[in-house]
Amino acid sequence: MELPALLTLFCAVLSASASAAQISLAVSLPAKPNPFLLPPSTHATLSSLHKRLDAPLTTVNTFNFHNVSADSYLLDVHCATDTFQPLRVDVGEDGAVKAWETFRGNEWGNKGEEVPVKSEGESRRGFSVKALGGKIFFLERPAFSVLSILKSPMILMGIVTMGIVFGMPYLMDNMDPELRAEFEERQKESPLNAIMGNAQAGQNPLGNFDMAAYLAGSGKKEGVKR
Amino acid sequence: MRRTLQSALLLGLSSLAAAVFQDEVDDIDFHHALVGVPQVETTFFHRPKKDEKASYLYTLSDVGILGAVNPNSGALVWRQQIADGVSNGGGHLRAPEGENWVAAAYGQRVQSWAALSGRNLWEVEFGGEVKDLEIMELTESARKDVLVLSEEDGVTVLRRLHGALGTTVWEFREVSKDIPLQVSTSLTNVYVVSLHGSPSSYSLKVTSLELATGGRVDHWTVGTKGEVHESKDVMFVGANSAAPILAWASTDLNKLNVHVLGTKTKQEFPLLADTVSVTIHAPHLIQSQPHFLVHIRTATGNKGEVFHTDLKTGRITKAYELPLLPGLGTFSTSSEGANVYFTRVTEDEVLVVSSDSHSVLARNSLDPEARTGAIHAVSEVIKKAGGKEFAIRSATVTEAQDWILIRNGKLDWTRYEGLSGAVAAAWAEIPEAENLAKVLAEEAHTNPWNAYVHRLTRHINDLQYLPDYLASVPTRVIESITGGAVLVSKTEGLHRDSFGFNKIIILATHRGRFYGLDTGNHGQVVWSADVFPQFLGAVLDVKGIVVNDSEGTVTVRGSKGEFAVITVADGHILEVHYGDDSAVVSSTAVVGSDGSKWLLAFDQDRKPIVDALKDRSLDQTIVIRDENDIIKGVKFSDEDGQVARNELWQLQLLPGQKIASIAKLPSHDPIASIGRVLGDRTVNYKYLNPNIIVVAAIDNAADALSVHVVDTVSGQLLASQVYDGVDGDKDISCTLSENWYSCAFFGQYTLDDGTNRDIKGYQVVVSDLYESPNPNDRGPLGEAETFSPLDPVDTPTGVPLPWVVSQTWIISEPLTNLTVTETRQGITNRQLLAYLPESHAILGITRHGIDPRRPVNRDPSAAEMEAEGLMKYTPAIQIDGRNLLSHERDIVGVRGILATPAVVESTSLVVAYGIDVFGSQVAPSGTFDILGKGFNKITLLGTVVALTWGVVILAPMVRRKQINRKWEAFL
Repeated sequence: MELPALLTLFCAVLSASASAAQISLAVSLPAKPNPFLLPPSTHATLSSLHKRLDAPLTTVNTFNFHNVSADSYLLDVHCATDTFQPLRVDVGEDGAVKAWETFRGNEWGNKGEEVPVKSEGESRRGFSVKALGGKIFFLERPAFSVLSILKSPMILMGIVTMGIVFGMPYLMDNMDPELRAEFEERQKESPLNAIMGNAQAGQNPLGNFDMAAYLAGSGKKEGVKR
Repeated sequence: MRRTLQSALLLGLSSLAAAVFQDEVDDIDFHHALVGVPQVETTFFHRPKKDEKASYLYTLSDVGILGAVNPNSGALVWRQQIADGVSNGGGHLRAPEGENWVAAAYGQRVQSWAALSGRNLWEVEFGGEVKDLEIMELTESARKDVLVLSEEDGVTVLRRLHGALGTTVWEFREVSKDIPLQVSTSLTNVYVVSLHGSPSSYSLKVTSLELATGGRVDHWTVGTKGEVHESKDVMFVGANSAAPILAWASTDLNKLNVHVLGTKTKQEFPLLADTVSVTIHAPHLIQSQPHFLVHIRTATGNKGEVFHTDLKTGRITKAYELPLLPGLGTFSTSSEGANVYFTRVTEDEVLVVSSDSHSVLARNSLDPEARTGAIHAVSEVIKKAGGKEFAIRSATVTEAQDWILIRNGKLDWTRYEGLSGAVAAAWAEIPEAENLAKVLAEEAHTNPWNAYVHRLTRHINDLQYLPDYLASVPTRVIESITGGAVLVSKTEGLHRDSFGFNKIIILATHRGRFYGLDTGNHGQVVWSADVFPQFLGAVLDVKGIVVNDSEGTVTVRGSKGEFAVITVADGHILEVHYGDDSAVVSSTAVVGSDGSKWLLAFDQDRKPIVDALKDRSLDQTIVIRDENDIIKGVKFSDEDGQVARNELWQLQLLPGQKIASIAKLPSHDPIASIGRVLGDRTVNYKYLNPNIIVVAAIDNAADALSVHVVDTVSGQLLASQVYDGVDGDKDISCTLSENWYSCAFFGQYTLDDGTNRDIKGYQVVVSDLYESPNPNDRGPLGEAETFSPLDPVDTPTGVPLPWVVSQTWIISEPLTNLTVTETRQGITNRQLLAYLPESHAILGITRHGIDPRRPVNRDPSAAEMEAEGLMKYTPAIQIDGRNLLSHERDIVGVRGILATPAVVESTSLVVAYGIDVFGSQVAPSGTFDILGKGFNKITLLGTVVALTWGVVILAPMVRRKQINRKWEAFL
């Protein structure tokens, strides 16, 4: 951790020479998420080769960097609850400050939208960062719920089939005799009968369906009509 | 994401996010959020809101953490690390009376923090170290200002800073050879106290300044007759009070010299004959009465003497004495209006006296658990409304380095602050089942009949536990159904569990104290032992720590020749050797021979300390890093009782290079598969060499990082990479496991692919080592089952070099302390663990995410996804909150991360230590061998019951229906 010592030395050298590039940066937070609710461990860093500046979160929701020397910095806001957009901050030798959105994993020259920098006094510049949303730390456990089971298409299909299987006989029983006759007539013609063989109409065809014979391949059953 | 999820599912064993479920918090992990051991001069009660009575406890601890603790619960309200890294004492902290901020100084920095929220108000940094910080309570306006005394290159500088803005109001500079000591204010003046003269006989120089302008008014010196040799010989108390005093004891500790600031004389008072230390306690408010208490500690007891200062004449008179009582005892001052109370914590009582008279105002006998040997305390005494009753709260630092709060004699809470500042840690098995193992081994060695009788008696003996066991069965069944899957045993104390999650963490702190934490009991402190007590300012540097699980002991070697053997179960010190400054242990090596591990210590010249080799043979090559950063492979042999060193190879760095990081394979690194099946069903064979290390060397001038893989047997460089634009000032960390290694650093460079693109950011590099670039081919090794790095295989001059596949990712935060998870058989995917110093979190990245074989600029084929779980390469890794093992916890100052396997294959145990201690269980591929909490036994039982009932109800219905049908058929 020699870095801060180096930095101070650097700053001391700078202040001694009273150069123009002794810039203070005030980075402010957006209104959402509520900046007053952010934890006090929130801080921002400016990093570049051999440089790292750190600023804690202040009571007025800013990060104040003092004695920023000329360089092109990566600005990160580190917060336990929310993520913020990283910025590229260029501080010129003449004290000019420019800031852009930057994209991680892209070349440094690939800048995004420029962030407006306000001049607050002679050597103080201010701009704000954008929030990218809250952090999620936990996985949701898939909870057991009856509704989720009922929503499954397989179950839905099963229910419909069950409804037909159980509901059909009642429907048939309550049918008008003529209609039933007509229905039975039509059923005889249906291709289902090919499977059912000469099952008697009106009776549940499964009642005397000889599965063994059907699987054995014999179309007609002798044993049933004894 | 859908793709990756799919491939993860196909792999079966992998889940990409090693996230924690909310209901596992505090169950699989624990966290000691610490502030460090409070220092008496920077600890106080303070009201964070002006108009409310409630106060917080503020401290700037010895590890450089400024923290606010709720005195009611002992919970941490906020904390800020104001020192860079872990400090060892120092710093200044003051709070203005009736204001909602506190001012802290450490090193060259002065900061002001909001007392309630812990946010920063202002921050200034000066060119010299801050020697003292004081609040200026009385200014020409309503606000309160801060006085900062610092020394900048031999110049004494006193600055008055604006309390609200931190800007300099005035500055006083004095070019002299004096050592600035203290600053104080009174109604009329600011006083600067400094040491004047030579170290053999310093005199005290007091300079008085004007409040409003900082102009010099007067200065005078007070002779000390050579009794003051350094700045800490001078006690200064009651800054800002009506009569601040300077005091120093004579060299033989038989009299005390007291000088009241503002007067020109000093007074002498005799001390007890066998005094060992003197401290002075005084109020620091201007309205408080000018009384102070001298606390005298003798070898066996302590007493207090109260003195009154006459403000007009500056005369000090002794008012009364408090009796000599055994034990260390503490005194603390608290003031309310003009009243000054002294709270005394003795071995068995807490009592409060007024500074006016020696009558005891309140007396509470201490609870047995609060009788812990107080070292120093801060107290808050509040006179209860309308009565003579007092509410007394004392925040006390005990001999065991705990911070406890005693409220009216009762122990309110305990904070194990001594756990902070850990410098070394080790995992140890709970030595319990070993007993059974020993008994079984014993049985195996006796003759069959004796063994049988022994076993029978043992079993009969075991029968006595049967009723208890049977009685516990119903509750266990109910608990296992209702209380989630992982059965929490109610066994008290240390005990093993079948999953192997219960282990002991041994922690060594820089204060020389050792701790044993039980992971089975939320990381509670099982024992603590002051093994190597450190003198003021000294720190323990642990050079080696090794656990011997078969004996249940831990062996430690310190840098000053300290040596100790401690039992892991209860912290009993079996063997201890205190070091001295002449003995230097530069490093140690863990040597494994005959199934046991021991520490081989090296002295300054990297020679083994002789006694270590007396009864042990050493035939391994040992890698030594010498003082010039040359890495050497050496062998030691015993020649006529002398240890001879044979250098086998050495790796010399280029000029300007420094070693940034060295990684070696974990001691437990089983390899489940020697190859890697690729998408086209061919196999890439892993380069598995147990004798490799990774050396990262940084050239700070050229900003170049060289990463070398070195064969430790032959010294051969197996692979080498150079990264440009690497910042050597920032942390560089490497780790090595199985056939891959990883380094993390900050890089800023221009790509050399002709596109002239700049790269800037924190990076993590992962490199895989394979035996040859071609699948299904082992290169020069061919069919060989073994190979020796000393025997060339194909060409007379060459050795089989690994084929390196490497890839770099830009990561959104710096990573430090890289480690890899360890599991029992190594079947589970490995996870890269790292500390995020900016986010204060522990990160776990699964190997799939940082696989160097991730295809670049194309989507992986379905076969590749299925076989290898590859995803398309994306240059950036955005750290997701779900990848943090520490989830919402704020973990400060991690210095090391240590992983160890559990009994179950899926899980690795992890501990991170430093300032905080955090422990957790990581299942990089999910808990595939444990029914986790996600397995709902109630649902399962409910389903079984529902199905049974369905069958029971439906069966007669169906039977009836069939019978009916048969009847209908006949009708």
